Amino acid sequence: MSFLEFSSDAFIAAFFLYCFGFLFYMIAIGGKKWSNRDPEQHVKRWGRVAYIVSTLGLVAHLAFFFTRWIGAGHIPTSNMYEFMTFLGMSIMIAFTVIYSIYRSPLLGMFALPLTIIIVAYASVFPQEVQPLIPALNSIWLKIHVTTAALGEAFFAVGFAAGLMYLLRVVDFKGKTKEARRAQRWVEFTLYVIIVVISFIITVFVFRGMGYEAEFKQMQVNIDSRGQETTTEENVQYTMPPIFKPYNSETISMDSFIGMKQPLLETPYWMDGVNAGRKLNTVVWSIIAGSLLYGLLRLVFRKPLGAVIHPAMEGIDPEDLDEISYRAIAIGFPIFTLGALIFAMIWANIAWSRFWGWDPKEVWALITWLYYSAYLHLRLSRGWQGHRSAWLAVIGFVIVMFTLIGVNLIIAGLHSYAGV
Amino acid sequence: MFQNTKCECGHQNHVGTVLCEYCGKPLGEESLSEEPLEMRYDGVARRSQKANPSWIDRIWNFFSSVKIAVYLIVITLLGSTLGTIYPQESTFLSGDPTTYYEVNYGLPGKIYYALGLSRTYESWWFITLLVMIGTSLVICSLDRVLPLYRALNKQSIRKHLTFLKRQRVVFTRDIPGDPEEFVEKLGEQLKRKGYRVNRDGTALLAEKGRFSRWGPYINHIGLILFLLAVLARSIPGWYMDSYVTLPEGEAVEIKDTNYYIKNEKFTVQYYTDDELPDELKGTLRAKLYETKAVLYECTAYCGDLTREPELKEVHRHDIIVNDPLSYKGLHAYQFDFDETPKLKAVKPVLVDKQTGESYGPFELSMTNPEISYQVGPYTLELRDQFMEFAIGENGKPTTLSREPNAPAFFFLIKGPGLPKEGESYLYFPREIDKVRFSQDQINRDIADRFEIKVGSMENVVLSGATTFLNIRVDTAIPYVWVGAAISMIGLILGFYWQHRRIWLRIDDGKLTLGAHTNKNWFGMRGDVASALRKLDIVVEPKSLDNGGNKT
Repeated sequence: MSFLEFSSDAFIAAFFLYCFGFLFYMIAIGGKKWSNRDPEQHVKRWGRVAYIVSTLGLVAHLAFFFTRWIGAGHIPTSNMYEFMTFLGMSIMIAFTVIYSIYRSPLLGMFALPLTIIIVAYASVFPQEVQPLIPALNSIWLKIHVTTAALGEAFFAVGFAAGLMYLLRVVDFKGKTKEARRAQRWVEFTLYVIIVVISFIITVFVFRGMGYEAEFKQMQVNIDSRGQETTTEENVQYTMPPIFKPYNSETISMDSFIGMKQPLLETPYWMDGVNAGRKLNTVVWSIIAGSLLYGLLRLVFRKPLGAVIHPAMEGIDPEDLDEISYRAIAIGFPIFTLGALIFAMIWANIAWSRFWGWDPKEVWALITWLYYSAYLHLRLSRGWQGHRSAWLAVIGFVIVMFTLIGVNLIIAGLHSYAGV
Repeated sequence: MFQNTKCECGHQNHVGTVLCEYCGKPLGEESLSEEPLEMRYDGVARRSQKANPSWIDRIWNFFSSVKIAVYLIVITLLGSTLGTIYPQESTFLSGDPTTYYEVNYGLPGKIYYALGLSRTYESWWFITLLVMIGTSLVICSLDRVLPLYRALNKQSIRKHLTFLKRQRVVFTRDIPGDPEEFVEKLGEQLKRKGYRVNRDGTALLAEKGRFSRWGPYINHIGLILFLLAVLARSIPGWYMDSYVTLPEGEAVEIKDTNYYIKNEKFTVQYYTDDELPDELKGTLRAKLYETKAVLYECTAYCGDLTREPELKEVHRHDIIVNDPLSYKGLHAYQFDFDETPKLKAVKPVLVDKQTGESYGPFELSMTNPEISYQVGPYTLELRDQFMEFAIGENGKPTTLSREPNAPAFFFLIKGPGLPKEGESYLYFPREIDKVRFSQDQINRDIADRFEIKVGSMENVVLSGATTFLNIRVDTAIPYVWVGAAISMIGLILGFYWQHRRIWLRIDDGKLTLGAHTNKNWFGMRGDVASALRKLDIVVEPKSLDNGGNKT
C-alpha cells in the first residue's frame, strides 16, 4: 500500500472517529437525565469516552497529514482541500490545548461538529495530489500556512465557546424586546450553520447521482487596445441548473425531477469566474438548508436554540466566557505571526514586496484589526459576556470569509488556493 | 474646581485616582458601589485625567481614549473592505484606469473609480486613519504606562480591607492559632508556585508575572516602529520599484543605478505527465522559471550614448521564483517571461532582379543595426527603423513598441545605375510582414529592380526567451522586521503570561484574601485554592469567584 493510499484511508478513519466522538458528547450531555444514573458520573464517563475517541480521530488525522506529506513530497497545504483539512486538524489541536487548560468536556460538543463540518467541506474540493507550482515552492509554505491556520483554529474554538455561551444564557422563554432579538440572532446563526451543512450534503448527493449539465457561455472581452473579442467557454455543472450561466446555451443537461431546462439565467453583472455555477450552488444550498431547517422545526416544534438550550444547563456561563476570550487571546499572537508577519516575509521573497494590498492580505489585516478591537473592548466594562460572545461569533465569520469567501468572490494573487 | 483627593490613610492622590495609590481604598464614585473593583491600570490617575484641560490636553485626551482607538480600528477595518470590492489600480499593469472600471463593471465601477476607491490604500483618508492610529498608539501608551509603572513600583503590602473584599477573587475565614505563622506558611506555598512574596507582619503581597503588564506597550512600540519604517520609504533613495525587460544575452542598464543586468539564459520547465495526477495529465503545469542572471557594475562611460560602457561583473545568481538575486540592497525578482522567439538578426543578400546576381550577405541586427552597409558595389544607408511597424493616424509609418514584433528598415540604396541621392527601400525581414504591409507596393519601381532577401533559415538568428525582472531597493525593510519582531515579543509577553497578585491580611484572627489577575481568572482561582489546600483549607476554586464578569 502506498503512502497516499494509506493517507486517504486514515482520513476516512479520522472523519468517522470525529463523528463518533461527537455522538458520544451528545450522549454525555443529552443522557444526563436518563433514569437510574448519577448525572455527574454520567457526564464524566461519557465525556471521557468522547474525548478519547475524538483524540484518536486527531491521531488518525495527523497520520493522514504526515503520510500525505511523505507521499506527495511536499507539505499538504497547497490547495483548498489540503488547507481545509489542515484547518480542521488545527481546530482539534486548539481544542486539545484549551481542553488541557479548562478540562471542560462540553467544549468538545461544539468544537467537534465544527471540525466535522470543515473536514467534510474540504472533501468537496478535488482531492488528488498536485505538484507544486513555482510560486509555492518555498519553505514558507510550511511555516506561513500552518501558523496562520493554527491561529485561526483558536479563533474557531473561541467561536464555539462563544456560541455555547449564547445558547446557555439567552433566555429562550423571554418575551422582552431584547430577549426576542437575541433569540432571533441565535436562530439565524444556527440557520446559517445548517445551510453550510446542507451545501455539503447537496454536493455529495448530486455527486452520488452523477448529475451533469454543460453550457456554452459566450463572453465578450475588451482588451487594452480596445479590441472586442468574444470567447466561448464550456461550463460544467454538477447540480441541476436553477441559474444557467449568463449568455449561454445548453449543450447537455440531465433531467432532474422533471426539470429539463434551466429555470433562470444568471444576471449579467455577476461576471466573475464561474459566477453562474457559484450562484447556482449558493441557491441550492439555501433551498436545501431551508428545507432541512424547516424539517427540524417540524420535528421539534420549537426554535432550535430552545432545543439546545436545556442541554447547556449546569454549565457555568462565566467559564464559557473566559474560555472564549482565552482561546482568542491564545490565538491572536499565533495569527499575527502566521497570517501577517510570516506572510509578509514570504511575500517579500516571492513577490518582491512585503505588502501589496492583495485582497487576501487586506482580509487578513481586517481579521487582525477585528480581533484587536475585540481585545481592546474586553478591557472595558460591559463588553464581557453577551456582547463578547457575539463578537467571537462574528469574528469567526470574518475568518471564514478571509479563508473561503475571498477565493470564491474576489480571487487575486492567492488564486492557487481557488476553487 | 477643588477636589479633595486625600485618602484617609493620609496619602495625597492625583485627580482622577480611582483607588488610593497607597492603601488601595476606593475613592470617589468607586467607593459607593459594592461591585468588584475596577482594577484597570491599578486605579491610578492617567495623564489625561487632568482638571482644567488646555487645548493640547484636549487633543491628548482624545487620542488617549481606548474607545477612540477602537473606533479608529473599526473605521480602518471598514475602509479596508472597500478596497477589495474591485481590483486596485496597482494590481493591473495594462489597461487604463479611467476606463477600466466602467468597461468591466458598468455603472458601479464608474462610481467606484469616481469615489477614488480604485486607490483606497493611497487615499488621503486612509493614510489619515493610519496616522491617527499611530498617534493613538503613542498617546494611549504614554498616558497609561508611566502612571502604571509608578503604581506597580511602590506597592504597599497592607491594603485597605475594602480593597481586598472587592476583588474578583475573595476568600475570608477565621484562622485559629498564630496569624504570623499562618501568613509565613502560606507565603512558603506561594513561593513554590513562583510568586515573589512580601510580608509585613500579618499582611502579605504575593506577585508573579509583572513583566507581562509591559507586553501591550512593547507591542505598541513595535507597531509604531513598523509604521515609521513604512513611512520611511518616502525618503529619497530608500525605495525603488522598477521592471526590466531582458532579452537573452544582452546587458541592460538598470535605470537610476550604476548597475547593468544580463540574462544569460532563461528556462521554463514543465512537469512531465509521469509527475502529474491523472486529472492534470496533458496540461502544462510549470515546475520552474529560472533566469541565469549576471549583475555588472558600470565603471566608465556610463550612460554615454556614443561609447560602450565598461562593465565589471559583481554578482551572479540563478533567479527563480522565491529566490531573488540580492546584492548590496538591490534585489531582482523573477516577474514574468515571454517565450516567443524574437528576431535578433538576419543575414540577407541584395539581389539584382534584372541580372539575377546577388550580393552579400550582410548581417542586420534588429536592436543594434549599423548606419550603413557596403554590399557588393552598392551602399545601403539606414535612414529609419521601426520595431513594430504600423501606419499611424497621420498616414506616416510609426512603431507601436520597442519589441521587434514587426521590424522594418528604411534604407537608401546607392550605387551604379542609381540616382545620386539614392533610391528609398523599405525592408521587412519577416516574410509575413512583407505581405501584410505590401512591401513591393510601398517600394514601387525599385521593387522590380532589387530585392533584399534572406536565403534560408540558417541566415536568421532568433533570440531566446525574454525574461522580465522586478528590481527593488527597499532600505526600510530591516526596520520593518525589527518592528514586527518587537511587536511579536510584546504580544507573547502580554498574552502568554499574566500578572497575578494575591493580597491577604489577618485582623483579629480573621483572614481576608483578595486576588487579581489581568487575564485567566481560572488559573488565578486555581493558584489560591491549591495554596490554601496545602494549609488544610479545602475550597472549590469556583467558590472563590466574587462575580464581576457580568454584563
